[in-house]
Amino acid sequence: MKRKKQNKVDPHIRSLTKIVGESEILYKPEDLISYDCDGFTVHKALPKAVVFPKNTEEVAALVQYCHMNHLPFLARGAGTGLSGGAIPLNEEIIISLVKMKQLLCVDYENRQAVVQPGYVNLKLTNSISDKGYYYAPDPSSQYVCTIGGNVAENAGGAHCLKYGVTTNHILGLEVVLPHGEVIEIGGEGAPDSPGYDLMGLLTGSEGTLGIVTKITVRILKSPQGKKTVLAYFDDVEEGSRAVSDIIAAGIVPAALEMMDKTAIEGVEAGTFPVGHPPDIEAFLLIEVDGIMAGLEEQIEQILEVCESWNVREVKVAKSEEERSRWWANRKTGFGAMGAISPDYLVQDGVIPRSRLPEVLKEIEKISRESGLRIANIFHAGDGNLHPLILFDSRVPGETEKALQAGTACLKACADVGGSITGEHGVGIEKKEEMRFIFTEEEIEAQLDIRDVFNPYDLLNQGKLFPKPSRCMDVKKIVKDTVAVQS
Amino acid sequence: MDTQEHVELHDLYGNRGSEWHEPVSEEEICERLKRAHEEGRKVAIESGGTKRGYGGARGEYDWTLSLKKYKGIVEHNAGDMTITVKPGTTIAELQRFLQEYGQQVSLDPHWPEQATIGGVISANESGPKRLAYGSARDLVIGLRIVYPDGRIIRTGGKVVKNVAGYDMNKLFIGAMGTLGVISEITMKLRPAPKYESLALVSVPEGEEEKLRLLAVEIQDAMIEPVTLEILTPALAEKLTGTRAFTLLVGYEDVECSVKEQEGWMIHHKPENAVLEILHEEEARKFWERFAVTVPNTHTKEKDLCAVLKAGTKNMDVFTMMTTALDLGISHLVDIEAHGGLGHGISEYVVRGQQDNIIAVIEGLRAAAEQKGGYIVIKQLPFHLRKKVDVWGRNPGHFSLMEGIKKAVDPYGVCNLQRYIGGI
Ligand SMILES: Cc1cc2nc3c(=O)[nH]c(=O)nc-3n(C[C@H](O)[C@H](O)[C@H](O)COP(=O)(O)OP(=O)(O)OC[C@H]3O[C@@H](n4cnc5c(N)ncnc54)[C@H](O)[C@@H]3O)c2cc1C
Ligand SMILES: Cc1cc2nc3c(=O)[nH]c(=O)nc-3n(C[C@H](O)[C@H](O)[C@H](O)COP(=O)(O)OP(=O)(O)OC[C@H]3O[C@@H](n4cnc5c(N)ncnc54)[C@H](O)[C@@H]3O)c2cc1C
Repeated sequence: MKRKKQNKVDPHIRSLTKIVGESEILYKPEDLISYDCDGFTVHKALPKAVVFPKNTEEVAALVQYCHMNHLPFLARGAGTGLSGGAIPLNEEIIISLVKMKQLLCVDYENRQAVVQPGYVNLKLTNSISDKGYYYAPDPSSQYVCTIGGNVAENAGGAHCLKYGVTTNHILGLEVVLPHGEVIEIGGEGAPDSPGYDLMGLLTGSEGTLGIVTKITVRILKSPQGKKTVLAYFDDVEEGSRAVSDIIAAGIVPAALEMMDKTAIEGVEAGTFPVGHPPDIEAFLLIEVDGIMAGLEEQIEQILEVCESWNVREVKVAKSEEERSRWWANRKTGFGAMGAISPDYLVQDGVIPRSRLPEVLKEIEKISRESGLRIANIFHAGDGNLHPLILFDSRVPGETEKALQAGTACLKACADVGGSITGEHGVGIEKKEEMRFIFTEEEIEAQLDIRDVFNPYDLLNQGKLFPKPSRCMDVKKIVKDTVAVQS
Repeated sequence: MDTQEHVELHDLYGNRGSEWHEPVSEEEICERLKRAHEEGRKVAIESGGTKRGYGGARGEYDWTLSLKKYKGIVEHNAGDMTITVKPGTTIAELQRFLQEYGQQVSLDPHWPEQATIGGVISANESGPKRLAYGSARDLVIGLRIVYPDGRIIRTGGKVVKNVAGYDMNKLFIGAMGTLGVISEITMKLRPAPKYESLALVSVPEGEEEKLRLLAVEIQDAMIEPVTLEILTPALAEKLTGTRAFTLLVGYEDVECSVKEQEGWMIHHKPENAVLEILHEEEARKFWERFAVTVPNTHTKEKDLCAVLKAGTKNMDVFTMMTTALDLGISHLVDIEAHGGLGHGISEYVVRGQQDNIIAVIEGLRAAAEQKGGYIVIKQLPFHLRKKVDVWGRNPGHFSLMEGIKKAVDPYGVCNLQRYIGGI
């Protein structure tokens, strides 16, 4: 009886099981449901199977198998990606890296650590903070997202204004190429290794060039002091002008975040309210860090700038506890929108900082015209906007309107010389919008590079690049599906 | 440059074109490459040529495409702290322009008056301050590339944060001109430091281990130096007059923070060490002199000379430095060296007899490779580049690099054989 049952199993599943073991594979439809999407829930599709390799050799064996048998496959970390990068569009074998989650070594003298790809971002900082060290890239999802996923998306975070994004902190990678070969890039962490910068190219390639199986990262000494300011403005434009003037004053804040009225309503209704005044139009959350002795002067300058833009109230955090509460309020901002709207869609455009006022006005116009509320929570210091489009998927047509409003926001960013994504990636969500900023020839040039690594396009197929012939279909699929459930 | 000198340089360092072209517009660059592509010409690219002795297994190309006249600022957005420039702009011109706005490009390569931004980015040059500010790959946010067939491809953009598509900028930074001509560069800027100083800590012979320990202690303390550059005694003598291992600890911040860190230094000065602190203009003058001590291809040298770059883990720089001095003694060559204890790049000037220089290069390379690092030869006359490998052994994934070269430059128009493994 048992035997008969086994015979029904797809031969590929049997072969994959041989590689990872019975307990490390899922293939029954009911087990696959939680893998039908990532943080971009507008599009859903089931994979053929999900496998959980325990080491690089198993990843390589799985990849080799997929390659030889022409099975599409993709890598998955924690599945928090917001652009659909880990969604199986072609019945992929999902290679989940969550069981490769060790911290392999920390070398304080050389300021580096080696981790497996499934290691959770925040765990690294937590493991080294007792010695006064930390890992700088801090996406708001850092308590769950994996460093492998961060490398694939070149993740950013609030403190990337001063310290840079993931790519600035990667020293070495071990990668399984799409045909199963394992390569090491960057050796043991020596900088500038001779030859083209494949490490730079792979970082941010959204899992389309190879599967990262080991990562050497830079770790930093924690700053001696931190000071955090909350500044409330009665006018969004004045708040954004203050952003530019703080930077122009020669200050490099560690973080410079902004939230508008709708967003404030959300976070105050969420899990970590801090008592922001309800009638305020916007606030800035500003942090400076470094040598303690120098911080006071910078804070004074920041306060002066805020005063000059008619700030209603400014507060400097009086304790680490207060500072943490402000940051928790900010970092859980996306999720908090769930408290004021059944659904929301996050966008991720970037603009030159000086164009903030006009683009925020444009977003307001998009909101008015679509009849949907748009909340803005964003990294103001580097011009990285996150318009959160609030909607109700149960209302016919609203999902479609939300998607259109999202595209319009990205167009507004592209039109002032900006980009369509600053940290969340293109995935399947913004494939078409790539055309807002790149010519057909430029996209082709990128595809030429993909072909060097991934000539048969079995790895994470259908992501990142618009396909001329399929562009209308994709829009239609997106149009027909349900949008983000918060 | 007079013609005579020109010819001599060519003969000495190779990488020369029989015909010389100096485009002054992007259209001309496109036209020139398109023609090369159609006619099967081989083109040597340079912005001015301080690095003509850097890589290259070919003596001759059909044309040299010199970008030294394609220069100037295209766009500066002071408020956004970004700048777009043409490749022939020298580093010094760029910094002088930005000074008025209290801003800077945080790159401190050698020979700022001669080295151009195009050359620096293509050769991925950096200086001691990369410890704090990173290198070209951390600063460049967008490029315009004239592809080897004359197409114009933009990579990145004009905003400081951007993950749309592949990070193609990275491919061209440090590609040594083998993937096309960079015709425009957009970079992010930083505010010029409000105050700066430089602590020089030197120790008597035989006590250099103290500097290593000091560097470890500095990095583990909550202070934020912008340099941790160590100088060998011979190089220190040229710059400070004192023949002793010297650690250069630079600070850039608001004045009170710099002073606080100087205080830390005074308090932690190792026993027997000499500490001198230079402030503001004095510190800037020191770095200016530092930037012109390592010879480039235009420097007149009495003896045969090689310049090497090593990349290792941060603290291995120290061991590399002492290994180099030992090799210098056993092979009768003079070695001047400096390296960043916090960033892992070190540089060696080796002067002496041909065979001895080669032996030192090989010895140092073995030492670097044993530590998971590498040596590349930044400057060596052409005839010697045939005897010793400039780039060291090919990495395991070399086929990917070959593949990229083929994908971008299938006919080998641009700087063929200039780079690793002859790509
Ligand atoms: C509430 C919330 C807040 C967020 N805030 C931020 C933020 O502040 N900044 C930011 O940048 N992002 C943010 N994100 C987006 C997301 O967390 C990041 O993109 C993160 O890097 C994804 O990591 P992951 O482990 O979840 O990867 P996944 O979602 O599992 O995968 C993302 C992509 O990476 C690929 N991939 C995963 N692992 C590997 C690997 N080992 N090798 C090769 N490819 C791989 C996948 O194929 C997929 O294409 C946020 C997301 C949420 C839900
Ligand atoms: C003694 C002496 C005399 C001098 N005399 C003169 C003189 O008379 N006149 C004068 O004008 N200057 C003179 N100079 C200055 C010098 O010629 C140049 O300004 C300087 O060499 C610039 O070179 P570079 O550092 O930019 O790098 P380069 O050596 O030009 O280039 C480094 C690498 O990058 C590549 N590369 C360079 N630019 C690009 C690009 N845009 N795209 C793609 N790849 C690129 C090259 O192919 C090479 O692989 C002199 C210098 C000295 C020391």
